[in-house]
Amino acid sequence: MLWYKAWLESRTRFLLAALAIAGFCACSVLLHRDGVQMFDRPPTYVEYIWELVYKGYLRELFLLLTILLGVGGLLRERDFGTASFTLGLPVTRLRVVSVRAGLGLAEVVALSLLPALVIPSLSPLTGQSYPWSQALQFAVLWAVAGALIFMMGFLASSLFGGEYTAPVVAFSGLLVYSVIADLPFFERHFLDVNDIMSGTGMPYFQQHGSLLVGPVPWNALGVILLLVFSLVTLAGRITQQQDF
Amino acid sequence: MPTPCVIETQELTKRFGTFDAVRALSFRVEGQRITAFLGRNGAGKSTTIKMLLGMTHPTSGTGTVLGRSITDARASTEMRRDVAYVGEDKQLYGYMTVEQMIRFTKSFYRDWQPEVEQRLLKQYQLPTGRKVKALSKGMRTKLALLLAFCRRPALLILDEPSEGLDPVAIEELLQALVAAAADGTAVFFCSHQIAEVERVAEQVCIIDHGQLVMNLSLEDMRQHYRRITLGFAEQQPAEKFRIQGIQQIQTSGRQVILTANQNSDAIVDLARTMDPVSVDVSPMGLREVFLETVKEEA
Repeated sequence: MLWYKAWLESRTRFLLAALAIAGFCACSVLLHRDGVQMFDRPPTYVEYIWELVYKGYLRELFLLLTILLGVGGLLRERDFGTASFTLGLPVTRLRVVSVRAGLGLAEVVALSLLPALVIPSLSPLTGQSYPWSQALQFAVLWAVAGALIFMMGFLASSLFGGEYTAPVVAFSGLLVYSVIADLPFFERHFLDVNDIMSGTGMPYFQQHGSLLVGPVPWNALGVILLLVFSLVTLAGRITQQQDF
Repeated sequence: MPTPCVIETQELTKRFGTFDAVRALSFRVEGQRITAFLGRNGAGKSTTIKMLLGMTHPTSGTGTVLGRSITDARASTEMRRDVAYVGEDKQLYGYMTVEQMIRFTKSFYRDWQPEVEQRLLKQYQLPTGRKVKALSKGMRTKLALLLAFCRRPALLILDEPSEGLDPVAIEELLQALVAAAADGTAVFFCSHQIAEVERVAEQVCIIDHGQLVMNLSLEDMRQHYRRITLGFAEQQPAEKFRIQGIQQIQTSGRQVILTANQNSDAIVDLARTMDPVSVDVSPMGLREVFLETVKEEA
């Protein structure tokens, strides 16, 4: 039933995020004739989708929404006065934290799959086509990178209880991370989730044609997943030490 | 045969920065009885309860609840299976309906009693389809009590359980506490409603400034606590009355008021040798004892 509680707590944010992502994808596909006018050189349909969805606005929106999904937890419950009820249940704090993390990560995966479902499905309506394989590969990249960004919001919520403090700290963290990752010195040694998600400058991505051409970077994704797992553990340890 | 102890603490201390919320608290709560935990606002009652339930980590000291260590997270989790707790603020998940809240809570306990659930739903007139956030404070308190009473715990811990309840509901609550104790459940509760405490409690612990200042049975209190009012022809120095068994001395002009917590007969006999013009001995209620005790410590 902790899963049920976690779902009830996050469902509004999740459904709104899903609606925003699906709506953006649908609009991008259905209005693509007008959309291509924004570019100096008319792009191909695949390029257009990449520019708008996988590299551009939707990727940024997705990152912001995943941070918001991570916000919540026992410190927020303390502010609402419900923490003592939750902690009075015969469950460990680690279980409370891991269930919330598990459900949130599942929601991130679901959100990352949405463009992969909407774009190839709706494209034929406008006489276009987008390869399912491309969409699904991007979904894998988004799911793993999104999990890391989700954990930034999650960890911030384990440290800061105020209504706005955790999201502001997490958004600031994401901003600083993105700036540092783009610096020439760090570019080579840093896992830049923004580039991993879009494929920009990555060996598995062909800029001309905006297509994923190589195998999914499993090693990089593995490292990110390890980091995600470490952050869940860290959040659990922090929560175990706190007073409510 | 001694009654098993359900709560025991040794030198339990909680410090927030430089403030000691609870200071070296050592006490025992016996099973199968109702124990009240009294104190002024900020005396350390809720912090103590939170430490007992593993919600707050003690700065130092140890304790057990139902024989399980409060500082061992695993033991504390197991202990909470046998403890029902109603917290100070009675906040429950506002996004759940009453029915969802009940379904959620009962999934954690094997000792849930569906027939009690149905009875209390009727008795408290709780609207099952209504969201918790739409309930009044009194209704929310009733729901929190229902979630505790539907179980058959070994220990019931309640923090200000009657807060927000109407007189009828308070009466029902007090009866439920007595019934639970009769069924073998140990009840440990905080309240500022001394009259309610005096009606149902068998044992009283008083905490002040984070320290235990009294732990006695109400029966002992009724037997031993006396207010002795002495009138004299001339003003008397308070020091004259500092004798064993006197807890408090108040002088007002030619009148001396003594609070005796033992040996009241011997004290009265001794007072008579001081040639008082009047001697009045009256039993003390819990309210007076509480006020005298926390006043002394202030």
